[in-house]
Amino acid sequence: MAEDEAFFDPTVKKKKKKKKATFDVDAALAEGNDNLDGNVISGENESAPTAEDGDDNNADIDLDFTKQKKKKKKKPFNTDDLESALNEVKDDNATNDGGNQEDELIEDDFDLDFNKLKKKKKSKKKDLDEIMAEVDEKTEDKENVDDNSTTWLGSDRDYTYEELLNRAFEIMRYKNPDMASGKKQKFVMRPPQVVKIGAKKTSFANFTEICTTLHRQPKHLLDFLLAELGTSGSVDGNSQLIIKGRFQQKQIENVLRRYIKEYVTCHTCRSPDTILQKDTRLFFLQCETCGSRCSVASIKSGFQAVTSKRAAMRAKTA
Amino acid sequence: MSIQNLNTFDPFADASKGADDDVQDGLVHIRIQQRNGRKTLTTVQGLSSEYDLKKIVRACKKEFACNGTVIEHPEYGEVLQLQGDQRENICQWLTKAGLAKPDQLKVHGF
Ligand SMILES: [Zn+2]
Repeated sequence: MAEDEAFFDPTVKKKKKKKKATFDVDAALAEGNDNLDGNVISGENESAPTAEDGDDNNADIDLDFTKQKKKKKKKPFNTDDLESALNEVKDDNATNDGGNQEDELIEDDFDLDFNKLKKKKKSKKKDLDEIMAEVDEKTEDKENVDDNSTTWLGSDRDYTYEELLNRAFEIMRYKNPDMASGKKQKFVMRPPQVVKIGAKKTSFANFTEICTTLHRQPKHLLDFLLAELGTSGSVDGNSQLIIKGRFQQKQIENVLRRYIKEYVTCHTCRSPDTILQKDTRLFFLQCETCGSRCSVASIKSGFQAVTSKRAAMRAKTA
Repeated sequence: MSIQNLNTFDPFADASKGADDDVQDGLVHIRIQQRNGRKTLTTVQGLSSEYDLKKIVRACKKEFACNGTVIEHPEYGEVLQLQGDQRENICQWLTKAGLAKPDQLKVHGF
């Protein structure tokens, strides 16, 4: 919760800085795990994919952080729930959760994470990788999975955590065949480093690095940023972008998020594995994952109002 | 209030039709620009020329309590210019007044 507030509320900027992360990956991950537990048991909890988002290695870009917030509100399961849900699941098994989960699964699979924690993340990540690896092994052998994940269904005995976990992953893979390929990589992006330069300029220090991460020409991103912000700027010798005007990291993030949505992620499958090609004055976004190709909006700065001092302009032109 | 003012004569009857003939992409671009200090400027480009922009700006100035003007631009036509960050306001207002549909509004900036 705290990190959410920090993220949305500009007034607590100080705290945010100390924390160094506007949005706590650990919390999100822990959340994911919670959800996973609750989910598997109740069988119709709506957040199956969110668990997967947090844990999974698949391409995750979330352009919309509100979902994260919603998730947090989920309460952890209690024993009552567990018991009733257990009965339910026994009675009508896989068919029950099918419909519900499917909708959700399609809905959100991207998680644009500007704020990866470096050290903490690793330990968490390791566990998840292990789990994933384990699950991978099992899913490779289809029959094995079936045995593993559903053996308890007919019988009277209790299921084990492992079985439920497998079951959850199995359902997720079944509903999302393309993520089973395991080719996609988690789309991790460093947050933009935005520093004030004096009173009138802003430096976007890791601009070039972000261009590389996104596999986009610096010029293209530069054009977009400047057009959106309605200002001017240029890349200096240290490959940082100097923008005229005062901008906060949060604001640059917003613009970057829009850029990614329009020019990086596939409009069909939202995979970030895309190529931007220029073809007869238009830019086309070619997806490497699903093969779709669509034109994207051209970058126009449109009308620009005169904001500099008119007297200075007259002096310049005269 | 302001809506009724605008409705006294009826340029809006064919609003959705009018919006796309003379505007480049049929979108209303709402942009923000920084001026000196913390001052900002909001521009609204792409409103159909069937509308009386002067009347609109008058209504907006009153509604948002800001100054504003209409600028004639050779390429972009008449552009509304309002002082301060009025992006939220103008979006709501344009929608409420039926001058543009929400999906026609394109908000730029941070
Ligand atoms: Zn695609």
